Amino acid sequence: MGSPVPQWRGVMVPLLLFWLLSVAIGLTVGGAGLAPFDVARALTGEGEPTARAIVLELRLPRIALGLLVGGILAVTGAALQALVRNPLADPYLLGLSGGASLGAVLAIQMGVASPWGMPAAAFAGALGAIAVVYRLARVAGSALDSRILLLAGVVVGAFAGALTSGVLAVSESAAVRSAMLWLLGGLGGVGWTGVLALAAWSAPALFVLALEARNLDLLSLGEEPAQHLGADVARTKRRVYVAASLLTAAAVAAAGIIGFVGLAVPHLLRLLRGHGHRGLLPAAFALGGAFLVLADALARSLFAPLELPVGVVTAVVGVPVFAVLLRRSVIGVKR
Amino acid sequence: MARQRALISILAGVVIATGCRADRQVTASILDDWGRPVVLAAPARRIVSLAPATTELVFALGLGGRLVGRTTWCAYPAEARAVADVGNGIGPNVEAVAAQRPDLVLLYASEANRAALERFEALGMSVAVIRLDLAADLRRAARLIGRLAGDSAAAEVLIASFDSALSAASQAAVPAHRLTARIYVDIEGNPPLTLGSGSYVTEIIRAAGAENVFADLPQPSAVVSLEAIVAREPDFVLAISSDTLRRRASIAGRPGWRSLRAVREGRIVVVPGDLYGQPSPRMPLAVRDLRERIAALWTGGSGAPRRRGAAAQRG
Repeated sequence: MGSPVPQWRGVMVPLLLFWLLSVAIGLTVGGAGLAPFDVARALTGEGEPTARAIVLELRLPRIALGLLVGGILAVTGAALQALVRNPLADPYLLGLSGGASLGAVLAIQMGVASPWGMPAAAFAGALGAIAVVYRLARVAGSALDSRILLLAGVVVGAFAGALTSGVLAVSESAAVRSAMLWLLGGLGGVGWTGVLALAAWSAPALFVLALEARNLDLLSLGEEPAQHLGADVARTKRRVYVAASLLTAAAVAAAGIIGFVGLAVPHLLRLLRGHGHRGLLPAAFALGGAFLVLADALARSLFAPLELPVGVVTAVVGVPVFAVLLRRSVIGVKR
Repeated sequence: MARQRALISILAGVVIATGCRADRQVTASILDDWGRPVVLAAPARRIVSLAPATTELVFALGLGGRLVGRTTWCAYPAEARAVADVGNGIGPNVEAVAAQRPDLVLLYASEANRAALERFEALGMSVAVIRLDLAADLRRAARLIGRLAGDSAAAEVLIASFDSALSAASQAAVPAHRLTARIYVDIEGNPPLTLGSGSYVTEIIRAAGAENVFADLPQPSAVVSLEAIVAREPDFVLAISSDTLRRRASIAGRPGWRSLRAVREGRIVVVPGDLYGQPSPRMPLAVRDLRERIAALWTGGSGAPRRRGAAAQRG
């Protein structure tokens, strides 16, 4: 078998550079049109108060949140793809986005006006969806049958989606607008408090996924071979599912539903470097974060002072790149 | 012979049909806001209004007694609540509207209402499409409704009093230097949604002698970057709500919003939604209200005047 890590060494340094580059671009680009020099002065605590406020209080927490949310989405995407052995898996697959949307829409409907009301409600909705999906999947035994897990996720997502549409249909247009804007996702909503809360919440779950990385490698061979090779398949699946779900729930609460990162980033890395989750998971964390920060920088600056939903940019920029890579790798395989 | 008879009866039919048509063409010269002719046999007596702004306008024209249906969202004037509720105005419930047996339906000019318009027409109902988004639309809408209801005089009286009240409000006795204010209009916080120049609130701000910092955006509303708001250094944040205290606390508590000087220094103006929320003949009241609020904040403790010179240079 050999250790899967060495093949990742060559990619880690470029990834780290890309990660740093994304932070630099995220800091210098945005709706306010600050010169790079002003940004540098603001970072050292000097310069005009407005520029300082924009860089230190708005751009920095936004970048930190982007690195965290993008990383979480990519890692959970990678883990769930391995768990259900389905390349279409993404962090929202298992009914999470539906639950989160329903929570957010109900919060608006009940007139929760505080800035933290919506994240809290979305988080509660996502946790509710996780609980129902998990309960359904456990019906077939403690081993979490992947097919039942997928079906339960789709069914719960559809149920929550129908309720959401129903609530929106009888809501005032302002409430519908609030909900839609929030659900489109964005990194501007939670500030440093949100970044710290998300970091504290996600650290243990990320640690669990890292611990299970080797078992995910075995799992990708199939459940029976994995069992024979010494993996406790049932335990791995439970842990990965719960950790990935809790991570996604927190990411959705912090930034809404941002598509494509969790689907494409893991695949992109697999196309570049193959499987091996001990390398894939950290690489996905780095690339997902950098990608989301760059997408957000574009979202803020392309039509400044207007701002695009960041999910629009992740898809518009990411899909062509992904398509080219996919095509190349397929042609490469054929040769 | 039989064929001839058939031909004659068809011709007779055509003559009768055109005869009816001629009868119904009493008001055919009235075009609505989509340029459609609105055909009424007689001045409208049973009106369903499918937008809050037109409902208010119908009442302001003294025609409230003819309303037999309004949307769930028509809250002003209070008498409107007594009119039958027919549901939504965008994507209306055609059946609920038809059940009121209206002789005129006032439909909001939204592309989402095209299908409903076809269904109303298929049912043989008279529909006038009205685009009432701005104060600039008020006069046209008032004249249209007045003519359809056979009371053009009411429309002219309303327009005349509106115009004189508006110019009086714009020149109310507040020192002009206290009104120079650059205003950010807050609709949603995450992401920040504001109003551009194509909006009623921007018209109110302009009429009050102040300036919307995003008046350069042609859109009625747009999502903007928080940092772009900070960079434009508004003097005030104007929020529209019925719940003043909660709204003000909620803006100050949003992550990152304290980087706005206006928020840090408590210059958040929360105005009542029922006065500012829809284009209305009460616009002069809104203009007066806004001027008073701005003047109060400039003279009041927390909102002390500052660097007016700098703001003027920027402007």
